Amino acid sequence: MRLRTRTAYAFLTPYLLVFLTFWIWPIANSFWLSFLNTRSANWTFNPRMTWGRLLVDPAFANALWNTLLILVIQVPVMIALATVLAVLLNSPILKARGLFRFAFFAPVVVGEVAYAAMFRLLFNEFGIINKMLVAAGLTSIPWLSDPNAAMAVIIIALTWRWAGYNAIIILAGLQSIPEDVYEAATLDGVSKVRQFFYITLPLLKPVIILCVVISVIGTMQLFSEPFLITNRGGPGQATETLGLFLYRQGFGAFNFGYASAVAYTITALAIAISLLNLWLGKERE
Amino acid sequence: MAAVSLNNVVKKFGSLPVVHGASLEIADGEFVVFVGPSGCGKSTLLRMIAGLEDITDGEIVIGGKVVNDVEPAERGIAMVFQSYALYPHMTVEQNLSFGLRMTGNDKADTQRRVSRAADILRISELMQRRPRQLSGGQRQRVAIGRAIVRNPQVFLFDEPLSNLDAELRVQMRVEIARLHKELGVTMIYVTHDQTEAMTLADKIVVLRAGNIEQIGRPLDLYYDPDNQFVAGFVGSPKMNFIRGHVVERNDKGVILELAGEDGTRLAQPLTGPAPELGSHVTVGVRPEHFGDAGKGDADLTVSVDVVEHLGGTSFVYAATAAGEELVIQRDAATAADAAEITVSIRKSYLFDEKGLRLR
Repeated sequence: MRLRTRTAYAFLTPYLLVFLTFWIWPIANSFWLSFLNTRSANWTFNPRMTWGRLLVDPAFANALWNTLLILVIQVPVMIALATVLAVLLNSPILKARGLFRFAFFAPVVVGEVAYAAMFRLLFNEFGIINKMLVAAGLTSIPWLSDPNAAMAVIIIALTWRWAGYNAIIILAGLQSIPEDVYEAATLDGVSKVRQFFYITLPLLKPVIILCVVISVIGTMQLFSEPFLITNRGGPGQATETLGLFLYRQGFGAFNFGYASAVAYTITALAIAISLLNLWLGKERE
Repeated sequence: MAAVSLNNVVKKFGSLPVVHGASLEIADGEFVVFVGPSGCGKSTLLRMIAGLEDITDGEIVIGGKVVNDVEPAERGIAMVFQSYALYPHMTVEQNLSFGLRMTGNDKADTQRRVSRAADILRISELMQRRPRQLSGGQRQRVAIGRAIVRNPQVFLFDEPLSNLDAELRVQMRVEIARLHKELGVTMIYVTHDQTEAMTLADKIVVLRAGNIEQIGRPLDLYYDPDNQFVAGFVGSPKMNFIRGHVVERNDKGVILELAGEDGTRLAQPLTGPAPELGSHVTVGVRPEHFGDAGKGDADLTVSVDVVEHLGGTSFVYAATAAGEELVIQRDAATAADAAEITVSIRKSYLFDEKGLRLR
């Protein structure tokens, strides 16, 4: 090995060691773990206790269902909202644009615990949301104790937190569409609404797909919101997600084998759904 | 087809005026070129005609109708952009038909118009391609095609050839001239390239800093410029300017002494008012209006920097004794490589201190 190369590796070694120990090794080891029965004192090879259990465990099915439900409702709503927000933020008639852009991006910067605490207060039985509902002549909703309402709170919270973030990404895509394309369409007599659907949306497709993929991956790993806002996936297991289920199995029941199998399932699902999105978004000549 | 007239058109961006009252008549079927350096307001003027910019004051009339408040699509115009502005996600065919499809035009008619435009521009074999699969010249054809399908009364071109390489530019210039002949439609064309202006235009409008400096036929501007700016802008290589001052004036004109040329006098006949004795003036001489020593009105001895031989002709880059740089056009045989040559001024233009032509 040449001296230069050796020196380079010498400098890289500390990082590579940390990377191997705390990144590659756990990933590889958890794959092995996912085949072990970790419920007994001596861990033995028994994939039926892990991968096999996935197929029959109603708690896993519940967590998977909850995660997919959030995914199917929250991601499209949020991306649609983000697209509309991006168009509004891009509007030349909007005053104080910089301020608005920051304001919509800000939720991402807020600490998870602080934001979760805020949502718990807002949707508390005596919180301001219920106060407003009652003031508007509606009945108050037991947000955190009704299974469906709790799910709605999770979806609302997620949308609040990430819509602005996605809007900023989509805004960047919007700004890369040259103005004169719209001018040409205006001269062609194409209305603003049609310009949006026939020019803006098709040209934004790659950016929107990127946002969808990022959101899908994020949602598949969803943990903080159900842990913090609906108190560990409550009421009951109504808002338990795959991430939370993994945590409960791994660090509640110390069933590392099963938790590892769940982890790999989450990864595989995220990859599969993302690939599907990319494939659907591919331009077909 | 339609005539276009601008009546005292003013454009301000905020408080910044960019066009100060432009008035202009464009006849039906005429090819008019707006030319001027960057920032002179020529594109703004074109965009106001298109309706892409509001008019601060004045009136734009297309086909006998005031269009100040008429939507761009309703003005009977079509525009070709410098950047082509094609819809990147659509095929050539979709690009051409998009406007017609979106406005509910009859399907068969759309098809007919698209194939006619494709025939005119010879792009029929490109119809299924997307813009990124086309060369610059092909994209420009598609952009022009998109204008043709609209059957406009007036074509607007905003520096359409600026993004093309030199060879293609000449080729497309000829194409546009052919198109004008074929369609016979009014065309307004913006460029900063005076060669394009000279070769394409029936009428050139020279703009500077938001003002129309002169309007006229190409050769009229070339041979009879109203001011020093137009004289310098039209023609390539540009007109030479030599400073001088008036040493004698009589009822026939003035006699000048050229800067740095003691004893070299140039008589300029004038029919209009003559400048004051001793006042500073500028003499304009086109490169081809220098001749051999002793054969003109005044002789200059200049030191030669560089000689460019183009084959049919040669350009001598030289400086006068006063340090003024000149470009002299000569035959290849007589373009001396010597350090000094003597040239004669055979024809010249006189401009006063403000740059206005003295006739």
